[in-house]
Amino acid sequence: MPDTAALPLDPRAVLLDAVAADRDDAIRQCGRALLNVGAIEEPYIETMIERERSLSTYVGEEVAIPHGTVLGKDTVHHDAICVVRFPAGVDWDGNRVTVCVGIAAKGDGHVRLLSELAQILLAPDRARALRESADTAGVLRLLQPIGEDSEE
Amino acid sequence: MAERRVTVQAEVGLHARPAATFVQTAAKAGIDVTLAKVGGQPVNAKSILSVLALDVRQGENVVISAEGDGAEELVETLAAIASAP
Repeated sequence: MPDTAALPLDPRAVLLDAVAADRDDAIRQCGRALLNVGAIEEPYIETMIERERSLSTYVGEEVAIPHGTVLGKDTVHHDAICVVRFPAGVDWDGNRVTVCVGIAAKGDGHVRLLSELAQILLAPDRARALRESADTAGVLRLLQPIGEDSEE
Repeated sequence: MAERRVTVQAEVGLHARPAATFVQTAAKAGIDVTLAKVGGQPVNAKSILSVLALDVRQGENVVISAEGDGAEELVETLAAIASAP
Protein backbone atom coordinates (compact mmCIF):
# COMPACT_ATOMS: atom_id res chain seq x y z
CA MET A 1 0.00 0.00 0.00
CA PRO A 2 1.28 3.51 -0.75
CA ASP A 3 1.76 5.85 2.17
CA THR A 4 -1.10 8.12 3.02
CA ALA A 5 -0.19 11.79 2.83
CA ALA A 6 -2.30 14.53 4.35
CA LEU A 7 -5.21 15.49 2.15
CA PRO A 8 -5.45 19.20 1.26
CA LEU A 9 -8.49 20.05 3.39
CA ASP A 10 -9.16 23.60 4.60
CA PRO A 11 -11.32 23.68 7.77
CA ARG A 12 -13.55 26.25 6.04
CA ALA A 13 -14.35 23.58 3.44
CA VAL A 14 -15.88 21.26 6.04
CA LEU A 15 -19.68 21.59 6.33
CA LEU A 16 -21.19 19.10 8.73
CA ASP A 17 -24.88 19.89 8.48
CA ALA A 18 -25.97 20.69 4.94
CA VAL A 19 -29.29 19.98 3.23
CA ALA A 20 -29.57 19.29 -0.50
CA ALA A 21 -32.66 19.07 -2.69
CA ASP A 22 -31.06 16.50 -4.97
CA ARG A 23 -27.76 15.14 -6.27
CA ASP A 24 -26.91 18.11 -8.48
CA ASP A 25 -27.66 20.54 -5.63
CA ALA A 26 -25.30 18.54 -3.38
CA ILE A 27 -22.56 18.69 -6.03
CA ARG A 28 -23.04 22.46 -6.43
CA GLN A 29 -22.68 22.90 -2.67
CA CYS A 30 -19.39 20.99 -2.83
CA GLY A 31 -18.32 23.20 -5.71
CA ARG A 32 -19.13 26.34 -3.72
CA ALA A 33 -17.12 25.04 -0.74
CA LEU A 34 -14.11 24.58 -3.06
CA LEU A 35 -14.77 28.02 -4.56
CA ASN A 36 -14.90 29.64 -1.10
CA VAL A 37 -11.39 28.43 -0.25
CA GLY A 38 -10.03 29.71 -3.56
CA ALA A 39 -9.26 26.28 -5.02
CA ILE A 40 -11.29 26.69 -8.20
CA GLU A 41 -13.06 29.14 -10.48
CA GLU A 42 -16.80 28.91 -10.83
CA PRO A 43 -16.90 27.10 -14.21
CA TYR A 44 -15.32 24.04 -12.56
CA ILE A 45 -18.61 23.39 -10.76
CA GLU A 46 -20.52 22.65 -13.98
CA THR A 47 -17.83 20.19 -15.03
CA MET A 48 -18.43 18.38 -11.71
CA ILE A 49 -22.09 17.97 -12.68
CA GLU A 50 -21.14 16.81 -16.19
CA ARG A 51 -18.72 14.29 -14.77
CA GLU A 52 -21.42 12.88 -12.47
CA ARG A 53 -23.88 12.54 -15.37
CA SER A 54 -21.36 10.60 -17.41
CA LEU A 55 -20.06 8.40 -14.56
CA SER A 56 -21.28 8.23 -10.97
CA THR A 57 -18.73 9.06 -8.28
CA TYR A 58 -20.60 7.06 -5.63
CA VAL A 59 -18.05 4.76 -3.96
CA GLY A 60 -20.07 3.04 -1.22
CA GLU A 61 -20.24 3.68 2.54
CA GLU A 62 -22.79 6.47 1.80
CA VAL A 63 -19.95 8.49 0.27
CA ALA A 64 -19.70 10.18 -3.13
CA ILE A 65 -16.58 11.93 -4.39
CA PRO A 66 -17.68 14.49 -6.97
CA HIS A 67 -14.93 16.05 -9.08
CA GLY A 68 -14.61 17.83 -12.39
CA THR A 69 -13.69 16.64 -15.85
CA VAL A 70 -10.46 17.17 -17.75
CA LEU A 71 -12.15 20.17 -19.36
CA GLY A 72 -12.35 21.80 -15.94
CA LYS A 73 -8.65 21.46 -15.15
CA ASP A 74 -7.84 24.99 -16.31
CA THR A 75 -10.20 26.36 -13.68
CA VAL A 76 -8.37 24.70 -10.76
CA HIS A 77 -5.98 26.96 -8.83
CA HIS A 78 -4.69 24.37 -6.39
CA ASP A 79 -5.47 20.82 -5.25
CA ALA A 80 -8.13 20.77 -2.55
CA ILE A 81 -10.88 18.65 -1.10
CA CYS A 82 -14.03 19.59 0.76
CA VAL A 83 -16.26 17.55 3.05
CA VAL A 84 -19.96 18.34 2.93
CA ARG A 85 -22.27 16.17 5.02
CA PHE A 86 -25.97 15.71 4.39
CA PRO A 87 -27.35 14.01 7.52
CA ALA A 88 -30.82 13.62 5.98
CA GLY A 89 -29.29 11.82 3.01
CA VAL A 90 -29.31 12.58 -0.71
CA ASP A 91 -30.63 10.18 -3.34
CA TRP A 92 -27.65 9.44 -5.56
CA ASP A 93 -29.06 7.49 -8.50
CA GLY A 94 -30.68 5.04 -6.10
CA ASN A 95 -27.92 5.07 -3.48
CA ARG A 96 -28.12 7.02 -0.22
CA VAL A 97 -25.32 9.54 0.25
CA THR A 98 -24.65 11.33 3.54
CA VAL A 99 -21.07 12.48 2.87
CA CYS A 100 -19.68 14.20 -0.21
CA VAL A 101 -15.95 14.62 -0.54
CA GLY A 102 -15.55 17.11 -3.36
CA ILE A 103 -12.22 17.11 -5.16
CA ALA A 104 -10.39 19.75 -7.16
CA ALA A 105 -7.06 18.82 -8.69
CA LYS A 106 -4.67 19.92 -11.38
CA GLY A 107 -3.21 17.42 -13.83
CA ASP A 108 -3.76 13.89 -12.56
CA GLY A 109 -3.54 15.01 -8.92
CA HIS A 110 -7.08 13.78 -8.28
CA VAL A 111 -5.91 10.20 -8.86
CA ARG A 112 -3.63 10.40 -5.81
CA LEU A 113 -6.36 12.11 -3.78
CA LEU A 114 -8.96 9.50 -4.75
CA SER A 115 -6.63 6.66 -3.93
CA GLU A 116 -5.77 8.08 -0.51
CA LEU A 117 -9.39 8.78 0.24
CA ALA A 118 -10.32 5.24 -0.81
CA GLN A 119 -7.75 3.84 1.61
CA ILE A 120 -9.36 5.81 4.44
CA LEU A 121 -12.89 4.74 3.51
CA LEU A 122 -11.88 1.07 3.29
CA ALA A 123 -11.55 1.03 7.08
CA PRO A 124 -15.19 0.79 8.24
CA ASP A 125 -14.46 2.58 11.53
CA ARG A 126 -12.90 5.51 9.70
CA ALA A 127 -15.75 5.65 7.19
CA ARG A 128 -18.20 5.72 10.11
CA ALA A 129 -16.17 8.45 11.81
CA LEU A 130 -16.36 10.52 8.63
CA ARG A 131 -20.16 10.18 8.66
CA GLU A 132 -20.60 10.74 12.40
CA SER A 133 -17.76 12.93 13.66
CA ALA A 134 -19.32 15.61 15.87
CA ASP A 135 -17.01 18.45 14.88
CA THR A 136 -14.77 19.80 12.13
CA ALA A 137 -11.65 18.94 14.11
CA GLY A 138 -12.66 15.28 14.07
CA VAL A 139 -13.00 15.31 10.29
CA LEU A 140 -9.64 17.04 9.90
CA ARG A 141 -7.94 14.48 12.17
CA LEU A 142 -9.42 11.67 10.12
CA LEU A 143 -8.28 13.01 6.75
CA GLN A 144 -4.99 14.54 7.89
CA PRO A 145 -3.62 11.92 10.27
CA ILE A 146 -0.82 13.34 12.40
CA GLY A 147 2.36 11.30 12.55
CA GLU A 148 1.73 9.39 9.33
CA ASP A 149 4.23 11.19 7.17
CA SER A 150 4.45 10.33 3.52
CA GLU A 151 7.79 9.17 2.28
CA GLU A 152 7.18 10.86 -1.05
CA MET B 1 -7.60 -21.21 -9.88
CA ALA B 2 -7.75 -19.07 -13.01
CA GLU B 3 -5.24 -16.28 -13.27
CA ARG B 4 -4.28 -13.63 -15.83
CA ARG B 5 -1.47 -11.14 -15.71
CA VAL B 6 -1.92 -8.03 -17.84
CA THR B 7 -0.48 -4.57 -18.33
CA VAL B 8 -2.89 -1.71 -17.73
CA GLN B 9 -3.02 0.35 -20.92
CA ALA B 10 -5.57 3.07 -20.24
CA GLU B 11 -4.08 6.53 -19.84
CA VAL B 12 -6.00 7.04 -16.58
CA GLY B 13 -4.79 3.68 -15.24
CA LEU B 14 -7.34 1.55 -13.42
CA HIS B 15 -9.33 4.61 -12.31
CA ALA B 16 -12.41 6.45 -13.53
CA ARG B 17 -14.33 4.61 -16.25
CA PRO B 18 -11.97 1.63 -16.63
CA ALA B 19 -12.18 1.05 -12.87
CA ALA B 20 -15.97 1.38 -12.87
CA THR B 21 -16.38 -1.04 -15.79
CA PHE B 22 -13.95 -3.49 -14.21
CA VAL B 23 -15.69 -3.48 -10.82
CA GLN B 24 -19.21 -3.63 -12.29
CA THR B 25 -18.24 -6.66 -14.36
CA ALA B 26 -16.54 -8.37 -11.40
CA ALA B 27 -19.50 -7.64 -9.12
CA LYS B 28 -21.89 -9.49 -11.46
CA ALA B 29 -19.94 -12.73 -11.03
CA GLY B 30 -21.12 -15.29 -8.51
CA ILE B 31 -17.58 -16.21 -7.50
CA ASP B 32 -14.79 -14.44 -5.64
CA VAL B 33 -12.31 -12.54 -7.79
CA THR B 34 -9.24 -10.58 -6.77
CA LEU B 35 -6.93 -7.99 -8.25
CA ALA B 36 -3.32 -7.44 -7.22
CA LYS B 37 -0.24 -5.61 -8.36
CA VAL B 38 2.50 -8.10 -9.23
CA GLY B 39 3.96 -9.24 -5.90
CA GLY B 40 1.36 -7.27 -3.94
CA GLN B 41 -1.56 -8.16 -1.70
CA PRO B 42 -4.70 -9.14 -3.62
CA VAL B 43 -7.81 -7.02 -3.05
CA ASN B 44 -11.49 -7.66 -3.71
CA ALA B 45 -12.06 -6.89 -7.41
CA LYS B 46 -15.77 -6.25 -6.71
CA SER B 47 -15.07 -3.22 -4.50
CA ILE B 48 -14.55 0.13 -6.22
CA LEU B 49 -12.89 1.43 -3.05
CA SER B 50 -10.39 -1.44 -3.01
CA VAL B 51 -9.58 -1.00 -6.68
CA LEU B 52 -9.16 2.78 -6.36
CA ALA B 53 -7.03 2.37 -3.23
CA LEU B 54 -4.74 -0.02 -5.12
CA ASP B 55 -3.92 2.95 -7.36
CA VAL B 56 -2.92 1.13 -10.54
CA ARG B 57 -1.36 3.47 -13.11
CA GLN B 58 -0.86 3.14 -16.85
CA GLY B 59 1.89 0.62 -17.64
CA GLU B 60 1.65 -1.29 -14.36
CA ASN B 61 1.15 -5.04 -14.32
CA VAL B 62 -1.72 -6.58 -12.42
CA VAL B 63 -2.83 -10.13 -11.65
CA ILE B 64 -6.51 -11.07 -11.77
CA SER B 65 -7.46 -14.31 -10.01
CA ALA B 66 -10.70 -16.22 -9.55
CA GLU B 67 -11.74 -19.69 -8.52
CA GLY B 68 -14.94 -21.62 -9.16
CA ASP B 69 -17.59 -21.90 -11.86
CA GLY B 70 -16.80 -19.66 -14.82
CA ALA B 71 -13.47 -18.48 -13.37
CA GLU B 72 -11.63 -18.84 -16.69
CA GLU B 73 -14.14 -16.73 -18.61
CA LEU B 74 -14.33 -14.17 -15.83
CA VAL B 75 -10.59 -13.52 -15.58
CA GLU B 76 -10.44 -13.43 -19.38
CA THR B 77 -13.15 -10.77 -19.53
CA LEU B 78 -11.61 -8.72 -16.72
CA ALA B 79 -8.14 -9.00 -18.24
CA ALA B 80 -9.53 -7.57 -21.48
CA ILE B 81 -11.05 -4.62 -19.60
CA ALA B 82 -7.89 -3.95 -17.59
CA SER B 83 -5.67 -4.06 -20.65
CA ALA B 84 -7.93 -2.03 -22.95
CA PRO B 85 -6.28 1.21 -24.11
